[in-house]
Amino acid sequence: MRRLAVFAVMLALGADTVAADQNRPIVDAHIHYSHDTWDVLPPPEAIKVLRQAGVKKAFVSSSSDDGTQMLYRTAPDLIVPVLRPYRKRGELSSWVRDPSIVAHVEARLKANTYAGIGEFHVFGADADLPVMRSLVAFAKARKIFLHAHSDADAVERIFKQDPDARVLWAHSGFDRPDNVRAMLAKHKMLWADLAFRNDYAPGGRLDAPWKQLILDFPDRFMVGTDTPSPERWYYVVEHAKFSRTWIAELPPDVADNVAFRNAERLAAWALGQ
Amino acid sequence: MRLAALLLATALAVAHADAQPLTPPFDDTERAAILAHGPWPPARVNDPSNRVSGKPEAIALGRRLFFDTRLSRERNRSCATCHDPEKSFTDGRARSLGRALHDRNAIALANLSLNRWFGWAGASDSLWAHSIRPILDDKELALSPGELHKRVSTDRNTAARYAKVFGLQADADDPELVLVNVAKALAAFQETIVTGRTPFDEFRDALERNDRPAQARYPLAAQRGLRLFVGRGRCAACHLGPNFTSGEFEDVGIPFFAEKGRVDPGRHGGIAALRASPFNLLGRYNDDAGRSSALATQHVEPLHRNWGEFRVPSLRNVARTAPYMHNGSLPTLAAVVRHYSEVDEERLHGAPERRLLKPLRLSQQEKTDLIAFLRTLSGPVAAAN
Repeated sequence: MRRLAVFAVMLALGADTVAADQNRPIVDAHIHYSHDTWDVLPPPEAIKVLRQAGVKKAFVSSSSDDGTQMLYRTAPDLIVPVLRPYRKRGELSSWVRDPSIVAHVEARLKANTYAGIGEFHVFGADADLPVMRSLVAFAKARKIFLHAHSDADAVERIFKQDPDARVLWAHSGFDRPDNVRAMLAKHKMLWADLAFRNDYAPGGRLDAPWKQLILDFPDRFMVGTDTPSPERWYYVVEHAKFSRTWIAELPPDVADNVAFRNAERLAAWALGQ
Repeated sequence: MRLAALLLATALAVAHADAQPLTPPFDDTERAAILAHGPWPPARVNDPSNRVSGKPEAIALGRRLFFDTRLSRERNRSCATCHDPEKSFTDGRARSLGRALHDRNAIALANLSLNRWFGWAGASDSLWAHSIRPILDDKELALSPGELHKRVSTDRNTAARYAKVFGLQADADDPELVLVNVAKALAAFQETIVTGRTPFDEFRDALERNDRPAQARYPLAAQRGLRLFVGRGRCAACHLGPNFTSGEFEDVGIPFFAEKGRVDPGRHGGIAALRASPFNLLGRYNDDAGRSSALATQHVEPLHRNWGEFRVPSLRNVARTAPYMHNGSLPTLAAVVRHYSEVDEERLHGAPERRLLKPLRLSQQEKTDLIAFLRTLSGPVAAAN
């Protein structure tokens, strides 16, 4: 009967309730706060979620950028503002061929503080299109990073345009560990977030090739939830718990790097702190 | 006389205007994709995890229990309240109303033997385990195992049937075992709920045997819709096979707030509940001694992508099971087709170039054709008497 009671609680919660006594701070390097989230989770509520998750800082971008600005005004100590080039939903597929994006990004960069430009989606040869070239130039001029949801080819093209660029590779390109290794070895100013993928830690335990990769590049990885829809904000706490579980397998200094230090350093560089 | 003949010919031509082969005809790729949706019906297979699956006495007991209001705490509702045979074993509501409003739509019960996971979130790995959930759920039948045990063992007829099926006396059994056995009888009955052959199945088989006259009897609009379904629409990527489902879970851009400030975690929560359940196939109630039926349960892990994923439902009899989606938020087939035509892709994760789900931007004619095709997936529903 006791097992039945536990089962009933599980049914009620509808989620994994395995307790994790892990207080390691997290910097969540991949958060979006787009317009459909503002109503259901106003800035104070959103900030509450991040603090509840033990998030020390969050790299936030949004469509439109107004969401990021609202959050930043609410909690400047917590929010690392990143400029998403999309003015509204629906530009995700078209932005890189839309010249008006350039003026929009430029105006926003002049008006507000940003640590980076992104997360944008660009693949292959599209990274050499004029709009993308402008973004690379803006990042160089302002000494901020680029958060690229890209394949390795597009990342290569960005570095060809600006060998000194600092690129945060969203989702580590959803690439295989050997390819990620090759990219990190080749580009010293490339960081990789692990958002929205489980393959590096199936079941919450680090996969051996990924573990070795993180140990070999302890200054390059960071974690992130990715919140493209408002409902995913309710996963931020769960994701932080997941991150702490596998991060605990790493030596303490590497664990702190991945959990928060790598992201903090990149943000501090970009924000001139 | 000639005028009469002309009028008759015209009338026949009008009547059969929609009954002709598609131009151009289905090519080899389309033909292979269409044939993959059959044959129907599939061979019946008993559930190895349920030792009474397929047994007539168990089916009869399960049928009796399915309609028995004594399975609810207040003796005022049964399984059939939300799974009404007159409504294709659904309740026709967006979200079911039991003792309280449920978060989800009552999924149609048919062809359940083909499932690997059960429910919108796959919180169960067997039909019998899934039949336990509504009995215990406070929003549904809300009966405790102790009370169920009492009601089964004190009703002479039910107790006698129980003893015949399970070879045990209900009053002597542990309440948890009675709960499991009741659920196994319920599952045995539900396995008999099947949908019959449809106009699509007739067309599909005619295509396989190259019977052109029989193919031409399938409405042209449905053929055009079928071409979209297996082609540009990419519908068959998830709604695949004879049962028109992968049996797995997807996020198709439907909002999944259950109420303000609370989300329905979907498959993510389903996996957590499955792993915590004492009734999953890894537990002691699985009758499959070899445990090969538990392989998937052993390996399933919650993934980030599972947050807000819900079952890809079968499309058999889809025209009869409105409203649609996990929360019944789309009232008609037209609304469903519109959703896929204009899906909000920024709600979905992943790069547009690599994502399966993209706005289809269908013309009005294409939407009409797709619906015409979906309507040909309806067939008679049969269940054990």
